[in-house]
Amino acid sequence: MASDEALLIETIVQVSAAILLSPLYQGIHEKLKAFVEGRRGPSFLQPYYDIFKLLKKEVVVTENSSFLFIYTPYVVFGIYLLISFLIPVVYPSPIYLTPTVDFLGGALLFSLASFLKLISSVESGSNFVALGVSRVLSFIFFSEATLITVFFGVALITGTNNPYVTLQYLTQDISHYLQLDHVLITVSFFMLWLFETGKLPAESSGLSEMGMIDDALLYEYSGKLLGILKWGSYVKQYLLGSVLLNVFLFPWLLQTGPLGALLDVFIMFLKWLLLILISVIINTTLAKLRLFKVQDFLAVSFILSVFSLIVTVLIG
Amino acid sequence: MVNAQLLELISASIIVSALYIQGQAYFKPTIYAQAIQSALISVLAFYLGFALNLIDYVILGVTIVVLRSFIITYFLFRGLKAKPGIRESTRGVASELVVNLAFFFLAVFILYYFVLGRIGLTTEAGAATLTIFSFILFFQGLFLIVTRRSTIAQIIGFIEEENSIVLFGILTIPIPFLIEVSIFLDVLGLVVITSLLTLQKLEHTKLEELMG
Repeated sequence: MASDEALLIETIVQVSAAILLSPLYQGIHEKLKAFVEGRRGPSFLQPYYDIFKLLKKEVVVTENSSFLFIYTPYVVFGIYLLISFLIPVVYPSPIYLTPTVDFLGGALLFSLASFLKLISSVESGSNFVALGVSRVLSFIFFSEATLITVFFGVALITGTNNPYVTLQYLTQDISHYLQLDHVLITVSFFMLWLFETGKLPAESSGLSEMGMIDDALLYEYSGKLLGILKWGSYVKQYLLGSVLLNVFLFPWLLQTGPLGALLDVFIMFLKWLLLILISVIINTTLAKLRLFKVQDFLAVSFILSVFSLIVTVLIG
Repeated sequence: MVNAQLLELISASIIVSALYIQGQAYFKPTIYAQAIQSALISVLAFYLGFALNLIDYVILGVTIVVLRSFIITYFLFRGLKAKPGIRESTRGVASELVVNLAFFFLAVFILYYFVLGRIGLTTEAGAATLTIFSFILFFQGLFLIVTRRSTIAQIIGFIEEENSIVLFGILTIPIPFLIEVSIFLDVLGLVVITSLLTLQKLEHTKLEELMG
């Protein structure tokens, strides 16, 4: 009974941390970026203010759009909520619902959410969104391939497709962490994370910018639906970033047990500060990429992930 | 004793430098990347020299670093005729990289399963599977020659192939013989031909090749 209660607490801590704290990391990122650029910048709680404001607002729907346009934001948010049960984003051991799918299943759920977002935004019938969707598609054919190859790579390294096993395998011995295939796959996934979460110095989120990639999909959304989609993208950023930290980049320090789960929230906060710092350094020191260079960037990420597979399979 | 992971790391860095050369359109960084690639091979030779306590590897390392990282780099820059910032117009880095990947991926798998897996190769350093990196480098050099029109990029492709032979030889062939062959190819094949070709013309198009 006690272990059931412990499991319940660990589950609640992991899922609520993923859902509630994800906008905070975006806020800290923006604040830190503004600080480096010499601006005052918005408050680090700004993403929360935005979400609350949008959730209270009225929804405007275009005449041409179907039910997909209205219901997809809820489904997408639900998918991200489900993924937060499946992968070690806060707590290093399996929780409730974790055995539902494996690592590859998690990747497919991410792909499903992206697909639904694309379909629903096209449903609005706006030409501008159609342009945005075609732009997104010209990039994500690489990023989705990389995501799946990276997860294949993880599966081959540990002989299982369970991220929790990978986490334990990496923390067992430093030599596991320093293996060439793991290093290559970490670099590849980090590049992918930069793209997937809009942290590449190519993208900008202003309303009239030509550099927008992901935001073009949300162009016709308004009010509560926009708020839910924005919140969903913060959760997605948190999930991918936490997988990057816990399974690839920095798998140590996580504690077990109900109290350990609470401590893990703080440890994850510190780890995220490290990731945010790296991302801010990349964003503020590199010159802005031309938009079509994003494909080259993703091609390199894809090649590194496949090269890692070659090293794993042939060198062992 | 030889640390296989260190060998893997250096060999993988060599492959990454070849990928960089494939994706880079500007000549200057490409030539520097070639120098770094050759230097990495000499680092591998030095490491094996110290680990196995064989002076031959050290001599090979010195030869490679002097001839390829310095002399050939100097001749390539001379061939560039002091025009900074010039580049070749490439046809889409992403597609070239993916075709390159498909090319060496397939070639290496066929080689591994149908050739290397059957002959039971043994090496002095005890790392027979590492020879796979030399094949990857060889196919990358070949692909660079096929995809580029400029003389400098094609010569760098040839140097990559040379590097792959040395990388293969370091692990398999008796070193004194390798040193002789390497110096012969470097001095005659690379320095002389490089200086002549780059002085002749900077770019090759299909039409020029067909004219008598």
